[in-house]
Amino acid sequence: MKIVVCMKETLDTTKEKRFGPDMRLERPKENAIINPFDEYTIEEGLRQQEKHGGEVIVLCMGPATATDTIRRALAMGADRGVLVTDPALGGSDAVGTARVLAAALTRIGYDLAIFGSAAADAYGGVVPAAVAELLGAPLLSWAGKLDVDGGTARIQRQADIGTQTAEAPLPALVSVVKAINDPRYPSMKGIMQSKKKPVDTMTLADLGLAAGQAGADGAGERVLGATAVSMQRKGEMYLGNEGAAQRILDFLIEQKVL
Amino acid sequence: MANDIWALAELTDGRLAGISLQLASKAAELARDLGGQSAAVALGTNTQAAAGELGSCGVSAVYASEGAVYDQYLGQPQSEALAGLIQKHQPRLVLIGGTNYGRDIAGRLAARLGAGLVYHVGEVAVEGGQVVMSVPAFGGAQAVKEAFTGAGTGLLLARPNAFATQRVGGTPAITQEPAPAAPGTGARLTGTAGAEGAAEAGHLGKAPNGDDIWLPAATQSKLEEAQIVVSGGRGLGGPQGFAQIEALASALGASVGASRAAVDAGWIPYAHQVGQTGKTVKPTVYIACGISGAVQHKAGMGTAGLIIAVNKDKDAPIFSFCDLGVVADLNVVIPRLTELVKQRKAGA
Repeated sequence: MKIVVCMKETLDTTKEKRFGPDMRLERPKENAIINPFDEYTIEEGLRQQEKHGGEVIVLCMGPATATDTIRRALAMGADRGVLVTDPALGGSDAVGTARVLAAALTRIGYDLAIFGSAAADAYGGVVPAAVAELLGAPLLSWAGKLDVDGGTARIQRQADIGTQTAEAPLPALVSVVKAINDPRYPSMKGIMQSKKKPVDTMTLADLGLAAGQAGADGAGERVLGATAVSMQRKGEMYLGNEGAAQRILDFLIEQKVL
Repeated sequence: MANDIWALAELTDGRLAGISLQLASKAAELARDLGGQSAAVALGTNTQAAAGELGSCGVSAVYASEGAVYDQYLGQPQSEALAGLIQKHQPRLVLIGGTNYGRDIAGRLAARLGAGLVYHVGEVAVEGGQVVMSVPAFGGAQAVKEAFTGAGTGLLLARPNAFATQRVGGTPAITQEPAPAAPGTGARLTGTAGAEGAAEAGHLGKAPNGDDIWLPAATQSKLEEAQIVVSGGRGLGGPQGFAQIEALASALGASVGASRAAVDAGWIPYAHQVGQTGKTVKPTVYIACGISGAVQHKAGMGTAGLIIAVNKDKDAPIFSFCDLGVVADLNVVIPRLTELVKQRKAGA
């Protein structure tokens, strides 16, 4: 089975983030990590490979330096990487990103393409559906459990109203939520091996896309500006167990909640 | 026509999700400001009843596509039907819920139409004839204003509870349009997890004596619509800590929430998670127990009317954005507070 796991490079969530003068998030290389949601994506690809054989390919769109982040996914056990990188890709929106990933998936070929539920820098959670639409493919979304049997993928799905079951014929796209597995840590052997695994790069031209189909020029949205939000709160503090419950009760009464 | 504002209703198995009414209310308001017409789109079963509810929030029209196909297939028939309707009527803006339901449809729709899509929207207004959206960034510390670049229909994914439901009253003109779409290439719903899944949603885990701990049904639902939310985090120390949280919530008539740390630890199901990757709540009072207050959690509750935090760590970030911060032991304070609330209610 040919399994493609889609991965984004995001920023360490514990580090402070800020916008650059172009109103894009500044992305210092030293803070780059595998999007935390995509650790589950990679893990699920590896688990499906353990059951069904085949290869696991990591697909990433990002800056040229993202090869280092791809190698961390290869250290977990994936077989090879594909990085789509091009100066014209900066500022891509969700649809632009989806056009790139759909074109790359078409070139790579896949039985199963796995996505995380969102990226930890934007939280859009719309790219898997956009890619599926462009490929005319089924998307099994928000999967908390995935089983592949013959030519059919079956999931348990975290819907807004509870858990559902769903299935689709392969080739199919699946987006996974964190409940699906516990991602492994790379082993020392895995880290050593990852250095020799191939990472191919592709440009927009390689994918047959024009500059206006992705990147800032192709975006359907623009940022007008950003302002700091002041969230003034009363900030009263109470220290110690003694009388604390009474103070909370009195506060609720003062605020006319009780 | 070019200033029409639409809201996509969320219908699942004939049930209308509450966010649909928030979107319909905002669509009616924006259409008034722009001098256009407002409409809601309902795809699924039981659309007639849904249309009445949506109309009560002020939308002047409802496009209803009655069909079981929408309850049976994921994403494709919904985006197919909606894309056709948008191309025919060309509204200025379509409001969609930032839920799992809404994101699946919005992603497909944006790709199909090549439409602008702004997600995570907390506010939207008309400024100088332009639709301007405000998106919180960095846990709400900044507000980023965005607009669409092209002249075509824009898609807006709203954060749950960003807009208020306003029952202004009204009877919408209902159009049976479009005909139900084809199923697509086959992501098919085969069922719900049924009784097993429903039970799981209220299962808190095991007590030290091996007994299962369950949330009473009353505190399970409507977290997003609750007026009071009592939430627990890592500071609870284990699933049994949620029994104390539940007791307080029950006394207050509140819903139970949780931080990601508590959910990831398996102490409480994901349905209770509040935060960037969970639910967004906007209650009158939010009581955070043993929650440190990471920006990801703040993103889901930072707009609550009042925030009360109880944590034994005086340096917890949550104390920097609360109205009352209590540095104390949860195991002492929460049971005592539960008693006091019960006494107060019994005496009142």
